[in-house]
Amino acid sequence: MTEQVLSPQGQQCLQALMRVWFEFERQLGRVPLLQRLERGQFSKADYCQLLQHLRQQVIEGSRWISRCASSFERDYSDVRSTIIGHAREEHRDYEMLERDYVAAGGSLSDIQNAPRNIGTEALHGFLMYRASQPNPVDLIGAMWIIEGLGQKMANDWAAKIDKASGGDGSYTRFMRYHGANDDDHMQKLYQLIDRLCHSPAQLSSIVRTARVTARLYCLQLEEVEHDY
Amino acid sequence: MSVYITASGHFLPGPAISNDEMEPLLGLVHGKPSRLKRRILQSNGIHTRHYAIDAKHNTLFSNAGMAARAAEHCLTGSFIGKRQIKMLSAATSQGDVVLPGFGSMLQAELGLSDIELHSSHGICSGSMMALKAAFTNLKAGEQPNALVVASELTSRLFKASRYEAAGTELDFNAEFLRWMLSDGAGALLLETRARGQCFRIDWIRSFSHADAYPVCMSVGYPTDSDHSKSWQDYATYAQAEAAGALLIRQDVRLLENIVKLGVDGYLRLIAEGRVQPDKIDHVLCHYSSHYFRGKIFDMLQRAGVGIAEQKWYSNLYSRGNTGCASIFIMLDEFRRTQSYKTGDTIICMVPESGRFNNAYMQLTVVEA
Repeated sequence: MTEQVLSPQGQQCLQALMRVWFEFERQLGRVPLLQRLERGQFSKADYCQLLQHLRQQVIEGSRWISRCASSFERDYSDVRSTIIGHAREEHRDYEMLERDYVAAGGSLSDIQNAPRNIGTEALHGFLMYRASQPNPVDLIGAMWIIEGLGQKMANDWAAKIDKASGGDGSYTRFMRYHGANDDDHMQKLYQLIDRLCHSPAQLSSIVRTARVTARLYCLQLEEVEHDY
Repeated sequence: MSVYITASGHFLPGPAISNDEMEPLLGLVHGKPSRLKRRILQSNGIHTRHYAIDAKHNTLFSNAGMAARAAEHCLTGSFIGKRQIKMLSAATSQGDVVLPGFGSMLQAELGLSDIELHSSHGICSGSMMALKAAFTNLKAGEQPNALVVASELTSRLFKASRYEAAGTELDFNAEFLRWMLSDGAGALLLETRARGQCFRIDWIRSFSHADAYPVCMSVGYPTDSDHSKSWQDYATYAQAEAAGALLIRQDVRLLENIVKLGVDGYLRLIAEGRVQPDKIDHVLCHYSSHYFRGKIFDMLQRAGVGIAEQKWYSNLYSRGNTGCASIFIMLDEFRRTQSYKTGDTIICMVPESGRFNNAYMQLTVVEA
């Protein structure tokens, strides 16, 4: 592995984002649903419930990232290109997720009609609000968390879910898929950090948005098991 | 008040045991050679280690006995004698007896009178916790000196008969540490005054993450358990042993977390201004396995806080992974054999996988 972020400001930003990520992983380690997954006490029904809640965020996720792209002004057309590319690649991922849900025994109409939980509501609201600001540099922080989650799902959750629920990988395709393009995505993210983080103020806004995204994502997972 | 490490010592029992000599000594489980041994040894990179038991599984040195020898070795190179020692702070993951505390047993073995005592219990980071207790005690002006000793005798857990008593199947997690851990003890003398060229302790800090991660290394849970029952919950100890509850295990799936948490703590200390990466001259890191060394390097490099390879020192490969004793044995050999100069900064890191506790220390080489 080589040093991916070259400018000193970018380097500092990356260090801070790594710490946010490690903190986020500890927050995830305290979520009861994931603690059960860790212990292997996780059924197919638990998985379907998790997908049902994730789907609402994934489908909204494609919207904030598109809006984020369009909020970058003329001096940032290169950034816009990168983000549009990213949005195009992922904006129909939720369909893969829906297929997994059906393959795991769920019904398509159930997942399509499920409401957003309050964590998803808060996360989506926050990201759409930030994405609507001019030149939303801070959203690199959100991408950092969401991209990291893709890796975690692919490298960690998918295998555990299959093991605990007796699956053969046929209904964890969405989670596994994220592993495939990781290196490329991370490389682009490092380039974005270098391109966009030039001042201490930008650094702290990127880190703040990463922390809020991480906290609200955890809230969303905590709410998976909260029937209301 | 400043606190200095003014002497150090170690004790490694018996001759160095090569990779090929390990299994004949520890014994064939159910009469069959291990299929995992080669793979695990390749990944940890250890060539030689020491055992306090012989091939007939007689214990040649007790844990307290090894600790006492390391302490004596330390005092041999010090300016003070046993009668002047004011505090003993001791660490081990498992003493020779369940009770009393390891410190009490070591005190008796060493013949130290009227001392203040501290026993620290844990796994690899236990020595750093024992060191911190002594360091803060001296810093607070409570005592002028303290002997800090860490010792491990894990080979008793690795006898073939122990695995056989736990059933017919050997699981990977239970066998893993058999090819990782070995015996030894290390000791440091702390004083509130410098003596010759010695190491000033600038700070010691640890970050524990047991609330966020499952147990990764343990003794006391039965095979394939949900951790609801411990070895003490069986009607007899024989039943606990048959259930595999007395085997030492590593949940290898969780082990990778140690790298991230190790780097996390390091980045925190940088953000706090305690660590300045470009001022570091030597790094002594108790990475349990060669495999993790590369991972730690990569991640530090990526964060732009990499430390040049030639600054890293370890004697893991020749002395073995001796749990909490490792960092003291490493520091002692560093003091005796490596070149350093007054003003140099030394960082010590001990990431513990038990339930994820990472300890860090900064030393500065000073001249009295």
